[in-house]
Amino acid sequence: MTLLWPGGGRMEVLEENDEEEQREEELMKALEISDEPHNIETKLSVDQVFVPNDVSDFDWSSIDISQLPSSYKTNSPREKKLLRIADHYLQQYTHLCPDRKPLFLYPVNECGIKKFVSTTVRPTLLPYTELYHWDGCASFVCDYLTMEPLKSPLIPPSLLYSPTTILKYQRGNCFDFSVLLCSMLIGAGYDAYCVNGYATHDICSLDETLEVCPLLRKPQEVPKEIMKKSNKYRVKSSPDMQSKFELQQEAKKKAETEATHKNEERGEGKVTEVEKPTHDPLYGLRVHAWVLVLSGKREVPEPFFINPFTGNSHSTMDEHFLGIESVWNHKNYWVNMQDCRNGCKDLIFDLGDTVCWEIMLSETDKPLQVLLDAEEENELFDRNTDDIEEEEEDTSFAMPPSWVAPIQISPREFETRCSQGKKVILYKKAKLEKWAPYLNRNGLVKRLTVYADLGCTEVVEVREWFKNREDMLDMRELNKQTQLTTEYFSPGHLLGLKVHIYKSMEPETERVMEFYNEARVDGLQKRAENASEIKEYFVGRDDFKYFQHTEFGKRGKKISVAGARTDINSRPIVQMKECFHRNLEKPADEDVAERVFLITEEMIHLTYHLKDKYITASKKDFFKPTENYRKQSEIMTPEMCITYQAGSSVKDKKLLHLYKLLQELTEEEKQLKQQVRQSEAEVLNILKIRENEEADIKLTVSIYNTERNEKRKQQYEATKNAMEDEFPVHEEQDLDYLAPFLIQIGHPEKMTKGQVLRLRDDCLTDFKNRLIAKANIIQARFEKEVEELKKKNQQFQENQSQLSREEEAVFLADYSETMFRIHIVALRLNREKQTAPQKYLALEEKLRKDPRLAVHLSHA
Amino acid sequence: MSQSYNSIKPNVIDDEMLQKAVEERWPEDIGKLAKSEGIDFKDVTELQLSFRNILQIDNLWQFENLTKLQLDNNIIEKIEALESLVHLVWLDLSFNNIEVIEGLDTLVKLQDLSLYNNRISKIEHMDTLQELQIFSIGKNNLTALEDVVYLRRFKKLRTLNLTGNPFCEEEQYVLFVVAHIPDLVYLDFKLVSDTTRELAVSKYHYLIDPLEHEEAQALAQLEEKLAKQKELEYHKTAFVEYLNGSFLFDSLYAEDTEAAKLAYLPGVDDLLQAYRKDFVSVCENLFNYGLKEYEKREAEVSEFYKGLHEALTANQQEGRKIILDFENRNKERLDEIHHATSYNIAESKRAEYNEDILQLSETLMTLEMQTVDQLEELIKDFEKNIAVIASTFIENVKGMMAQCRDLENRHHEKLLEISINTLEKSVKNELDEDLPDDVRELLVDKTTLVNMVNTSHNVHLLKIDMRECDILSNTYRWQASVTGKAFQNEIDRNRNRVKEIFQYIDNLQEQLDSIELLEPPE
Repeated sequence: MTLLWPGGGRMEVLEENDEEEQREEELMKALEISDEPHNIETKLSVDQVFVPNDVSDFDWSSIDISQLPSSYKTNSPREKKLLRIADHYLQQYTHLCPDRKPLFLYPVNECGIKKFVSTTVRPTLLPYTELYHWDGCASFVCDYLTMEPLKSPLIPPSLLYSPTTILKYQRGNCFDFSVLLCSMLIGAGYDAYCVNGYATHDICSLDETLEVCPLLRKPQEVPKEIMKKSNKYRVKSSPDMQSKFELQQEAKKKAETEATHKNEERGEGKVTEVEKPTHDPLYGLRVHAWVLVLSGKREVPEPFFINPFTGNSHSTMDEHFLGIESVWNHKNYWVNMQDCRNGCKDLIFDLGDTVCWEIMLSETDKPLQVLLDAEEENELFDRNTDDIEEEEEDTSFAMPPSWVAPIQISPREFETRCSQGKKVILYKKAKLEKWAPYLNRNGLVKRLTVYADLGCTEVVEVREWFKNREDMLDMRELNKQTQLTTEYFSPGHLLGLKVHIYKSMEPETERVMEFYNEARVDGLQKRAENASEIKEYFVGRDDFKYFQHTEFGKRGKKISVAGARTDINSRPIVQMKECFHRNLEKPADEDVAERVFLITEEMIHLTYHLKDKYITASKKDFFKPTENYRKQSEIMTPEMCITYQAGSSVKDKKLLHLYKLLQELTEEEKQLKQQVRQSEAEVLNILKIRENEEADIKLTVSIYNTERNEKRKQQYEATKNAMEDEFPVHEEQDLDYLAPFLIQIGHPEKMTKGQVLRLRDDCLTDFKNRLIAKANIIQARFEKEVEELKKKNQQFQENQSQLSREEEAVFLADYSETMFRIHIVALRLNREKQTAPQKYLALEEKLRKDPRLAVHLSHA
Repeated sequence: MSQSYNSIKPNVIDDEMLQKAVEERWPEDIGKLAKSEGIDFKDVTELQLSFRNILQIDNLWQFENLTKLQLDNNIIEKIEALESLVHLVWLDLSFNNIEVIEGLDTLVKLQDLSLYNNRISKIEHMDTLQELQIFSIGKNNLTALEDVVYLRRFKKLRTLNLTGNPFCEEEQYVLFVVAHIPDLVYLDFKLVSDTTRELAVSKYHYLIDPLEHEEAQALAQLEEKLAKQKELEYHKTAFVEYLNGSFLFDSLYAEDTEAAKLAYLPGVDDLLQAYRKDFVSVCENLFNYGLKEYEKREAEVSEFYKGLHEALTANQQEGRKIILDFENRNKERLDEIHHATSYNIAESKRAEYNEDILQLSETLMTLEMQTVDQLEELIKDFEKNIAVIASTFIENVKGMMAQCRDLENRHHEKLLEISINTLEKSVKNELDEDLPDDVRELLVDKTTLVNMVNTSHNVHLLKIDMRECDILSNTYRWQASVTGKAFQNEIDRNRNRVKEIFQYIDNLQEQLDSIELLEPPE
């Protein structure tokens, strides 16, 4: 077995550069400090947003441990035994691999007690749907906790607090993060493990400033596989008449200019190189803890890592993870025996493979093969040590249950997430801020600021995400360069608004509105407008219209006629154009493709769809009759319509048809005009609604959210109170303690004094008898137990010599249990004796005050 | 019944009446316009000829596109001269003197038919009116309630009017009708309620069930027949119809009386069985090969048309682009010329435009020439490939047919041998078996026998040759038609395109010229 030191052969370097490293560390600290003021500055610049007070260094020694359960403060016998085993394991390990670092096995917990790491993992499934999946868990952990660096970046911590404490104070180092995340993942059914290993500086210190923000990463475009079957019937393209020489010359020229460009760029390149990470002298030595999820459970196809600081998943080949010392879950502990010179790339994650992974507790629930292998390993170990006695226990010992109290997260805590509800992450040229829902009054939950430079001074773009808004606003994007604001809405906004892109909220300025066309009767999908035109795009209309373009002229001088209609002030329409898809039910040259109404010129152009194999489209141009024409007897003349009919020499259709068509078109023109005015009105309406909504932002609350929904809360409490109010009354009626006695005397409306007195006496004696009976029962039990004990004791005394060890153990356990019962019964008897007189007096008092009897008794 | 004869003179539909009827339907302004340019009866879709004392229908053949025709309240006695009105959807012949339903067979689109108040005594001659939805035949002479069963064939019939017929007096009238026409919604202007329907079904299910069963059976049979026909059609297009089985073999012996006689000779039966088996298997091979080849041919043709379509679409797009470019460039041209400040400017612009038009014409024609070249090459390729496919097919068919002939020859030889042997035996009187008398007669003379066997053989060979010839000629025909069609299509396309280009250019020129006319010369 060759044991290699994870993290490569860098030990020598470390020794040599010891001093240098110290300096480096100091430098880093200094850097961190200098970073802080900048952070505060940016936070201050944020307006209308909840800013938490930055908690300065947290003192773990001041935490309150008095409330913690006893399992935190003591070790059970099994835990003690486990520690012994671990100790033994460690001894063997150091003996076998003297040049590897000591294992991370039993750090001290918050109460100063040594606890084995596996018992710190507390598998828990929390009652939130988001926490059923690994990504939900990971993002919760990384949001909820505040990251603390390790005390020393080179060795694992000597302390490991319980997940409950970590959750309570919402902060921890990478080990705390991993243990909590691992607990949740195992609880959710994943095959998850905590990993103790080595990673790069960026990962260890949660430095994402070199990473591109995940929200900005472009989704990888799946290259569309166009299965182009080569058809043998393919026309040959016409011969290329261009001069080859000229092309060559041109290409040469281009290459030259490019070369010069590149040279220029190279000069600039030097500046950009700053982005590259500086060489880390501690590369490969920085200790980190993360989570490993193995395949097999919960449909995980292949193993992957989760970095608990970021909640991101990484492939096991990721070059940021440089080596693994050991992994553990709530059941066992494995040491990596593989070479980590190439990082984690070549590691085999088959924990049953005893050559690659050294197991601590050989398990019984593993397949037999594995078990045997493990035993062999143990023997191998044992040859070096002479401690054979321990071996037996080693193989049969199961991991004791976790000492940690159950992990609990209240809905409020779950919703608030980050400590005080806010979290800021810095990425490369970007800043991401997160808030808990309902924390900001405008519903803001996330804001991403993109900068042009690495120093984060010049804002390029701001994206804001909202939640629970009544106006369904989902996201707002503000591009600082173009000054364009883009708002995205969820389905359900008035008039089906989906996207709104604008520069200003003034009407008749440049804007684009997109709609959920399924939700609209007119199938409008998009409306783009500026000062002089409106473009509307439609989907799925019965009349096959897909595009409409309206051009406006300049507004005429304002006519200030009193009581004038509103549209007198609207922009005059110059031209309206409609485009239609092909309607296959009509022949192509009767199916209009494009219809243009030139209002000012009193013309209508019709262009029809192309007939099959034709390249010219049929056309009709109408000139609308002027007033003069109308007066003449002829209402339609051939000059009023110029027709081009593709592919047929029969030129004129009958005037009658043209006349009918013209009439129809005139009617449609009127309607279209009206429709354009309606569109304009709709835009105005939407703008007004939007303004109102922005001015008075309302947040919706789900009716299932009893915490926030005031109305529901009141209702809930009202019903609860009502229930409470009802119940006692009910009980009293049901259990009238006087009822049996009243029945005896026939339930009279009024009782004489004699009756009352007798009733009282009856009641009291009855109660007394009950008390005595109760005491007697307890007494009887007590005596029975004592007798049994005596009997057992006698039996034991007689057979003691023949009893085996096990039987003896059974007897002893039984004996102690019986003793315990006797003790309890004695206690109860004692208390009964003490309280009986009090109870008797209390009843007497109650009878005296009873309204039914009071009349006679109070004076008695 | 409803009309009195004595008052007014009966009419025949003539042009004058039609003219009037058409004009009546127009509003005033259109009417004037229409009158001035004359009416084309082809454009008329609705016609009303009510209350005109029409006795005989005539002269309606010009109204090709008529969808609605009203001939109610006349004295028509016979339904006639409606054959050409195939687009008719609505026909009203109520209040006439019709006695027999007839002459409606071509009106397959008819949805609404009214024969109310006539003298009809039987529902008949309407089998083709499968689209019928509303049918009114009230106030007629229908006496037999069983006539209603005829209406079951109209699957879309929802409204029916039968009131005023003699059989309506019968007690079970409503229930009978509802039971027999289950999808009926309105009967005699009344909604058919669910309770009525249930009642009707429960009362008449003994009548309806066998009817339904019969109909279902007929339908199944029809479907089966159609499927068979379709399959045969498919085999025919593959030129191998009736080759999947013993059809051909059976046909060899169908008209061969000699062979039937010879079959009685001892040993011939076994021989025949073996021969039959081999022959059928060769036929099967041929059949399967034929189907495979058919798929191959179809694939080739469809691939060619796909390629052709691609080329044509590309060409169409290119041409369209050229034209759109031109139109965009010259949108304002005409206006500019029209509003030019001086004649010279207008003239120069006009010349410029003219030049442009010529240029366009040239570009389009060049494109067309190029396309013609390309397509010609394409079609030639296609022709070549088709020829190869056809010739390989023919080769293989010939080979298989040769196998058939070989089998026949071998069979012939064996048969001859057996015959002669039997003859010899018979001559020596060594024959054990009992043979029919006419066969025994054959076994007398050797030449007769040999002749007979030879005749039979020749008949067989002839049949095989004919079948082969069939396949071959079909293949040749197919080859010629496919390639011919491709060439013809291309020629047509080319002509159309050239015509289109010229027309378009002419149109542009004309527009330009018409503007020039408006320009006052200096």
